[in-house]
Amino acid sequence: MTRWVIGAVGVACGLWGAWLALPLISWSFVVWLASGPLVHDVLVAPIVGGVGLLVYHACPPRWADLIAAGLATSGVLGLIALPLLWAPNAPSNPGLHDRDYGLGLLAALGVVWLVVVVVGRNK
Amino acid sequence: MKPRFRSRVHDERVAARIGLWLGITFGLCFITGLLSHGIQNPPGWFTWPTRPVSLYRITQGVHVISGIAAIPLLLAKLWSVYPKLFGRAHILERGSILVLVCAAFFELITGLFNVAQNYPWSFFFPTAHYAVAWVAVGALLVHIAVKLPVIKRALKTPVSDEPAPGMSRRNFLFTTGAVTGTAVLATAGSTVPWLRDVSVLAWRSSNGPQGIPVNRTARAAGVTRVDPQWTLEVIGPRLRSFTLAQLQAMPQVEAELPIACVEGWSASARWTGVRVADLLRSAGADPMSTVVVESLERAGKYRSSVLPPNHAADELTLLALRLNGEELDIDHGYPCRLIAPSRPGVLQTKWVSQVKVMS
Repeated sequence: MTRWVIGAVGVACGLWGAWLALPLISWSFVVWLASGPLVHDVLVAPIVGGVGLLVYHACPPRWADLIAAGLATSGVLGLIALPLLWAPNAPSNPGLHDRDYGLGLLAALGVVWLVVVVVGRNK
Repeated sequence: MKPRFRSRVHDERVAARIGLWLGITFGLCFITGLLSHGIQNPPGWFTWPTRPVSLYRITQGVHVISGIAAIPLLLAKLWSVYPKLFGRAHILERGSILVLVCAAFFELITGLFNVAQNYPWSFFFPTAHYAVAWVAVGALLVHIAVKLPVIKRALKTPVSDEPAPGMSRRNFLFTTGAVTGTAVLATAGSTVPWLRDVSVLAWRSSNGPQGIPVNRTARAAGVTRVDPQWTLEVIGPRLRSFTLAQLQAMPQVEAELPIACVEGWSASARWTGVRVADLLRSAGADPMSTVVVESLERAGKYRSSVLPPNHAADELTLLALRLNGEELDIDHGYPCRLIAPSRPGVLQTKWVSQVKVMS
């Protein structure tokens, strides 16, 4: 019974959203809507799997988990930095998006890999 | 060719735990998003309180921080169930998951680009983000309904590990938590003051004029020069008009109020100016009125805003003349701007020319 109620509320919310989205449909909208799972399933996940295989084959067992975690953190930080680093048309607003994000990303990656090395050596 | 997956992390106990965290972040995003939408497009029954003064700063901060946290969680969750893409499932279940993943990625990625004010698409972001949010939450509820027995079973079973190559389930969950924490730390300084220097990827800095960021410059708004003959019109039962000197001669109120942007950054500042309620009284109006605040800005979607009665009457709702002890910078809305407690930044109208009572 609970499951049917949750499901019915879900269908109602989804249909309401679809109704709201109907007037927005354009090429740009459809491309952005469809590209998430496409890019993930065809590109990101196979790369993650391949790199994972490589890490666990090539690295000593003591380091493999740490290196995999370091790579995952680096990838996510890179993704979050992407819209800040690649912003050809962003407006210039004082106090907003005016940090040196390239340097910031490098600093963050430096800290991440420093943690990887320190934890690995003390294991 | 069907790939072989031998990793221990492709397991319902892992998927259910990450799914629970992901569901919480999506729930927080949805509720805070609905509130922000309600404040900007209020239906008749909706009122938004003026206290605590940081309420909108908090709800919108939670919105953006949980959205950031959801990015690594979604990726980890999809990795834990990736082999299912190559397995068998009912066409309806597969379809509902496709809708869920499309909508979830759409919300996170467009949100991420929006906080960077980076728009590599041609649709209007707020409308699209709002509509697809309903689709995402709807598909999420359907997914929970379908999987409820599996979720219950998986959450009750401890996360044990048999010896095998690759990352253990426990370490995968721990790593997911660590990556999520790092992503939050790297960005939360946009709204959490003590993280400002830690968050190297925060969207705001402290470089704006008078220490406060500017989301629409005077130049972008086309208000580069204010006529020395500028007067503020207050339209109520009586028509009043004030020069800047007359506003400065009125009783001044000082208030520490945050400016909190829909895009998740916020900054607290010391504002000094005239109470909007005092101006309304001077025009013979009841301060508990709906009020339209107009800007000198000629075009632009946010050139005027509506103050609901509880905000108009609040003793901390000001037409600010000064910011952090100095005369307002033109980028902050010289000669005067609206600043009200617990309200989105786009509704804190700058370069105010007219205050008009509607009811």
